[in-house]
Amino acid sequence: MKTINIIDNWIARIEDWILVSLVIFMVILAFLQVILRNFFDLGIIWGDILLRHIVLWVGFIGASLATKNNKHINIDVFKRLHKGISQRIINLIINIVAAFVSAYLAFAAFRFVLDEKEFESVIFNNIPAWPFQTIIPIGFTLMSIRFIISGLNALARQEGN
Amino acid sequence: MDILLIGLILILLALYGTPLFVIISAIALIAFHMAEIDASAVIIELYRLASQPVLIAIPLFTFAGYLLAESNTPQRLVNLSRALFGWMPGGLAIVALVSCAVFTAFTGASGVTIIALGGLLYPVMLQERYSEDFSLGLLTASGNLGLLFPPSLPIILYGLVSQVSIDQLFVAGILPGILMVVLLSVYSVIFFKRSAIEKPRSEVNIKNIIKTIKEAAWEIPLPFIILGGIYGGFITATEAAAVTAFYVLIVEVFIYRDISIKKDLIRVVRDSMILVGGILVILGAALGLANYMVDAQIPMKILSTLKIYISSKIGFLLVLNIFLLIVGALMDIFSAIMVVAPIVIPVAASFGINPVHLGIIFLANLGIGYSTPPVGMNLFIASFRFEKSILKLYRAAIPFLIILLIALLLITYIPEMSTWPVDWMGI
Repeated sequence: MKTINIIDNWIARIEDWILVSLVIFMVILAFLQVILRNFFDLGIIWGDILLRHIVLWVGFIGASLATKNNKHINIDVFKRLHKGISQRIINLIINIVAAFVSAYLAFAAFRFVLDEKEFESVIFNNIPAWPFQTIIPIGFTLMSIRFIISGLNALARQEGN
Repeated sequence: MDILLIGLILILLALYGTPLFVIISAIALIAFHMAEIDASAVIIELYRLASQPVLIAIPLFTFAGYLLAESNTPQRLVNLSRALFGWMPGGLAIVALVSCAVFTAFTGASGVTIIALGGLLYPVMLQERYSEDFSLGLLTASGNLGLLFPPSLPIILYGLVSQVSIDQLFVAGILPGILMVVLLSVYSVIFFKRSAIEKPRSEVNIKNIIKTIKEAAWEIPLPFIILGGIYGGFITATEAAAVTAFYVLIVEVFIYRDISIKKDLIRVVRDSMILVGGILVILGAALGLANYMVDAQIPMKILSTLKIYISSKIGFLLVLNIFLLIVGALMDIFSAIMVVAPIVIPVAASFGINPVHLGIIFLANLGIGYSTPPVGMNLFIASFRFEKSILKLYRAAIPFLIILLIALLLITYIPEMSTWPVDWMGI
């Protein structure tokens, strides 16, 4: 379990760095587009398309980190009613369900990207779309794995107590 | 029978804290499976987001909001508004209302306002001998006050989901938003005059005003750039996001140096993108589900059932108000917009409600629901922040909720308040 968590933290650090680079790049490019469009009447035509794909990337990396930090948006009216063991069991069930659904989405996303590759979809001119889309299956896969890790961590803590 | 059981299990899972995107995706996947549509349809809907020009505004405004919240902006904002309004009777309450509204508009109503500003204002209010209940209630109710002002993220999200022009929504929200601030201010002044205790009041201090203006000199232009840019028709809401994010990054990191590149930047980026990611996966799943529901004509089925009981526009609006208050109390504002709006919009349209007006009703309602007992999220955030029991907060929040509900009724039943400025400005 310890090794898994170490590897997981290591991945999270890589994700942090990708996020920082992409967000800074996104802020600068988006601003540049506004300046070019409004003051010089020109703009990088593929700029906006690229920006929106960057949003997909930062979004999925963010969602993957949200899974690790248990920060997904949720409703937890009932959770407050439980403490101790029953809460841990509930957590375990929730994580298993979430891991299963994410895995299913990862699988569907994987097939979607393969299809797009086969149909040779492009985002602009002759730039293929599929490399930009790979973050969707990667993101869901990471989420699925992290839900499993969260579930295991909850169990491990229970035994520790 | 099976469907009923699955539905029940999913609802239980949701109420016990399963991530909402998992629940919505599960519903969408099951629905598509039963309609014999391939599961990748859910992914296609998600990917379609990448063709929405507004999408880019979400991470940019979120990032800017987190940067502002993590810097010393809240302190400078409070100092400035105290210097400007502190001398008035009930001035400090007005200071709290105005700074919360401005701050929420920029940070997007995710509970940050109570955490960042509440902590600053609460001790000062007690020090100036406002009662504990009044201070707690005011700060809790103000948590979502700026929701209707640009560039609030919930407005952008509503525009994205409903395909209503965000520029129009930004104009439509102004008067209703001001109405809420004004009504709460009037209540505060009356409360101040009625309470018997003599309260210390600072005098108008020109020196202090100039000093606080100088301190916030780099932040004061921001609302003017955005409002002037959007209302003057120079830039779109999406472009305003780009300008805001860039400006705030430069100002907080390089000019004020409140955010250290080494220590804070990674954390701010991570925290803000975690919220963006959380929104994105729900948005993708919710759009997939909405697509299915429209195909299956579910809004029309709801409508025909509703029409048996409700025939008038007013009746529908009343039901909508109550429904949204409950939704707002249960869900956070982002997911409520993404999940509920696609169902409500076609139904409301057939009752002849203006889509822009509907958006304002929606957001005003959800914002108030956020502070509504028993489960409104703001109450829990405030309980955590001020270390007070949740029951105490229920009691403290109620007078303010009543005022906000009056505002809500006016906003709902006087559509001109939202639609007239849009027509007048020709946006």
